[in-house]
Amino acid sequence: MEDLKQKLKVQIIEALNLQDTRPEDIDDNAPLFGEGLGLDSIDSLELMVLLERQYQIKVEDPREGRKILQSVQSMAEFIQSKQPA
Amino acid sequence: MKGKCYIQGMAAITPQHTFDGDLMAQPMVVTHGNMLSCAEPDYKSFIAPNSLRRMTRVLKMGLTASLKCLQDSGIAVPGAIVTGTGKGSLQDTERFIKEIRDYQEKALNPTPFIQSTYNAVNGLIALQQKCTQYNNTFVHRGFSFEHALLDSMLLLHEGTADVLTGAFDEITPEHFFIKGRIGHWKKETISNDKLYEHPSPGTISGEGAVFFALTPAVTAQSYAQIGGLQMLYKPSPEKLHAALPEFLQQHGLQAADIDLVLTGENADTNHAHYYEILKGYPQLPFKHLSGDYETVGAFAMWLAAQILKHQQLPSQWFPMLQQQPAKLRNILIYNHFFGEQHTFMLLHAV
Repeated sequence: MEDLKQKLKVQIIEALNLQDTRPEDIDDNAPLFGEGLGLDSIDSLELMVLLERQYQIKVEDPREGRKILQSVQSMAEFIQSKQPA
Repeated sequence: MKGKCYIQGMAAITPQHTFDGDLMAQPMVVTHGNMLSCAEPDYKSFIAPNSLRRMTRVLKMGLTASLKCLQDSGIAVPGAIVTGTGKGSLQDTERFIKEIRDYQEKALNPTPFIQSTYNAVNGLIALQQKCTQYNNTFVHRGFSFEHALLDSMLLLHEGTADVLTGAFDEITPEHFFIKGRIGHWKKETISNDKLYEHPSPGTISGEGAVFFALTPAVTAQSYAQIGGLQMLYKPSPEKLHAALPEFLQQHGLQAADIDLVLTGENADTNHAHYYEILKGYPQLPFKHLSGDYETVGAFAMWLAAQILKHQQLPSQWFPMLQQQPAKLRNILIYNHFFGEQHTFMLLHAV
């Protein structure tokens, strides 16, 4: 799980071109939108694309997406739940 | 057109150092190679980091030039935003098309698609300045900027208080390669300061983002008056020869009244014959400074307005200049885009 979260942080920084942000600057449980990283609605679409490209997971329900994209922790938990045991 | 049109503010990001500093003291930027790229400013002074991270080059160039222009003019929210672009954001277009191929039309990133649309720069300016007024982008190849200018002049004539008018285009290595295959560029590699020593088929490529704040009334700060504009699409040699004196006559001028012609001469022997209409006029070319692209007319207008405002030429940019013109009241710009879209623009000192 820790490796996955670390990998996710690197992928988020790269996908969203978060200049001056390092993986260690992102708290596992900090909100990605609003006060945390300050991401916006276009970033949420980019994160959906990231899940599809990197983990082959397609999020069909937008309401489900809101829960998944709350934090790095919630994204990692979701990815892990979709991976074969 | 009866209404008057003055340049109240302007800004330019081009292959020369045109964004800030004393124009008359800036040395010519010499590029070895047939693709001139812009000297880009520090965008962080104009655009928030959170917005900047998503923007590609031409968006940053266009937005920054427009904001600097508004600063220069003292206008915060213009009465209209009208621009022209030949290609829009090429970087985003190329990225989007490559991703369609790489990901088999699935899992496509929305950002390059959104930003590849031609009106993306206008949208960014409107958002940044909270401007909900008229907003339009013209995409008409070599007439893109000229149509934006014509629309702006019509808006001023109809009573709009001020208009932000601009043009932006970029070149990428991929697009340079594609246009090279249809013969746009010279086969031999040259540097821009030696352009006119190489008359041969093709020219050198360029790019730029140039914005103007236009108003119907003159002030002490005004750079110049835009006196006239005419566009001719694929004119016959006879029509082009007749068009120039007619254009001047329409504006109450004769050939002798023109103090300087800035010509789009670009050492391309395929289209050099068009410039024969300027025989006898005092003239200087400008494309060794900018390269050639669809909206280069905006750079020519910026240059003419600077010359009229300063009442002198930046002689370090024009090594072919024998002596400064005795007077600088009326400048004519004649340009064409690869022989198809021809434009006359007339500027007066204020």
